[in-house]
Amino acid sequence: MSKLLRSTSVRLALGYAVLFILSSALLVGLLWWRTADYLDRATEAVIVADTQAVGDRLRDFGLAGAVETVKERVRRAADERAIYLLTDPRLNPVTGNLNAWPLEVGQRAGWYQVGLVRDDRRHATRILHVLLPGNFHLLVGRDVEDRVQLRALIFNALAWAAAAAVVLAIAGGLLVRRATLGRIEEINRTASGIVRGDLSRRLPVRRSGDEFDQLALIINGLLEQIQQLIEGLQTTSHAIAHDLRTPLTELRGRLEDLLRTRPPAEDAFRQIDDAVADVDRVIEIFNALLRLAEIDSGVRRSGFRRVDLGRLVAEAAELYRPTVEETQATLAVEAAEGVEIDGDPFLIAQAVGNLLDNAAKVAPAGSTVTLSLARRDDRIEIAVSDRGPGIPAAEKPRATERFFRGDASRGTRGVGLGLSLVAAVARLHGGALVLDDNEPGLKARLVIPATDTGSLHEKRPTLA
Amino acid sequence: MKILLVEDNERVRDFVAKGLRESGHVVDQAANGRDGLFLASSETYDAIILDRMLPGGIDGIGIIEALRKTGNKTPILILSALAEVDDRIKGLKAGGDDYLTKPFAFGELMARLDALVRRSQRADVETVLSVGDLRMDLLARQVTRAGKPVDLQPREFKLLEYLMRHAEQAVTRTMLLENVWDYHFDPQTNVIDAHISKLRQKIDAPFDRPLLQTLRGVGYKLGAS
Repeated sequence: MSKLLRSTSVRLALGYAVLFILSSALLVGLLWWRTADYLDRATEAVIVADTQAVGDRLRDFGLAGAVETVKERVRRAADERAIYLLTDPRLNPVTGNLNAWPLEVGQRAGWYQVGLVRDDRRHATRILHVLLPGNFHLLVGRDVEDRVQLRALIFNALAWAAAAAVVLAIAGGLLVRRATLGRIEEINRTASGIVRGDLSRRLPVRRSGDEFDQLALIINGLLEQIQQLIEGLQTTSHAIAHDLRTPLTELRGRLEDLLRTRPPAEDAFRQIDDAVADVDRVIEIFNALLRLAEIDSGVRRSGFRRVDLGRLVAEAAELYRPTVEETQATLAVEAAEGVEIDGDPFLIAQAVGNLLDNAAKVAPAGSTVTLSLARRDDRIEIAVSDRGPGIPAAEKPRATERFFRGDASRGTRGVGLGLSLVAAVARLHGGALVLDDNEPGLKARLVIPATDTGSLHEKRPTLA
Repeated sequence: MKILLVEDNERVRDFVAKGLRESGHVVDQAANGRDGLFLASSETYDAIILDRMLPGGIDGIGIIEALRKTGNKTPILILSALAEVDDRIKGLKAGGDDYLTKPFAFGELMARLDALVRRSQRADVETVLSVGDLRMDLLARQVTRAGKPVDLQPREFKLLEYLMRHAEQAVTRTMLLENVWDYHFDPQTNVIDAHISKLRQKIDAPFDRPLLQTLRGVGYKLGAS
């Protein structure tokens, strides 16, 4: 029960019940008061008129006239439950339909409310006591038992309504609790499950589109993102474990071998040279992984500013042109002008550089590597196409995985993080890396949504 | 040169100090920020090598800010394990002259240090640079070797200018990438090699004596010797 009372919805329901009871009590009370007041005044007017009529007769025709009038009124009003009693100055009845002076009515003239017994029942009766000339006393009354019963009826109804309101409110509270707090409890349960480490759990969505569904969808999206980040972290740590171990194993073997064989100085130095190269490779992988993790965590959005992509593409082409030309291929640039986005210029440059670098590695002599920048509606596309072996359809889904190296890249330099980085940069900018068949060759497209609104990001100083 | 080395890791400090001494420099060492700041402000150095994160109440950035506030203009090379662009910008904004990420090759450190000191000593206005019989007129933007004009693309001109300004010094690929192209990441392949080889075609190939040498494991050097 105390748990039930702690529930917000039950407390809310009880609150509403009290409010409902108060407001209906107010309504009924007001109604009662106005009705009773009206009836009272009507009754009193009739009583006053009767007493005046009897008084008038007494003055005009003496006691006999008054007795006559009272008798006539008693006769006429037999079923109206009207009370008439005319007494002498010593309160002995003269005429009327009361057999004795009621004890509750005092010597003084005025209004009295008394209970009179008739048909073995006590009837509430409103009585006016007037003194007539000659010290005669006149009592005229009306049975108001109806009104008392009406009041009881109304209060009865009010009590029933109140009871019903309480029951309805509690039932409503329980319903609300089931409908809303029940869902919040679902969310609590799921969240607790997640806290305990079961990240695969999702909040149920009822497809009704209500606030709870929206909340559930947002939380599910959040969970999705967290799960992806954690999986990314796991992949990275596995990748680190795997791909750093290989060069480290080589390095260790080389150094151990050096210790064991103690070769002549010249040989030893050559071995140490190779060992340093091994270390450099480890550092290179390490840096690339850190950079990827940094990009994926989204922290790099701090480096966002307005970027002139035309200029960026031209500069990247300028930097990589000799590299492409070393393989006897040519680099063609097809860049649209005035294309700007909010982005990280260093990262986009590096992504474009990686794509050009990949193309330069595989471009056959005499072929053309094309770097293009174009705007299509609300998307911006930077593409690098080559005429190399391309990526077989079977390998495409895995091509952007960390450390994945396709068959065609065996024997070329690199650690297999280039396309992962391009994909990560694309993701950071809300876009994607699309690998298309260039028939023959590869067309790698970096597709980013255009951001036309002026940059809200703070301009950062560039490095000289 | 007299160099102050502030680094809390003893092995890194010994390794760098030893290398600097072998190159003929005098080295003072400090193992924490407080001692480093004390030495830096009481002695005169040609250059300071400063670790970014230091014990002793004041870190690398704090030392730089304190020195620059008192008008000390000694060239400072920051060493740091923090490689992110933001950290780099913070270090340079505070008044550092160059930024090198750990782990680093000693050759890279030496080359950058030389470049820093050379830059601080250089006469303000130079209009003509020359190395051997190679001559660069910065105003007319013309290059000649042995009196014969050499035709260079704008970027090649900038590359050669940087090499000539650091003549007889080792210049690493990263330094070229940063200073000639303003790129602050390591491309996966040595794109710089391709540019150097094109430059060689123009300034060295037609002549007997090559001026542009490759230093294995370090980078390049332009020199007449």
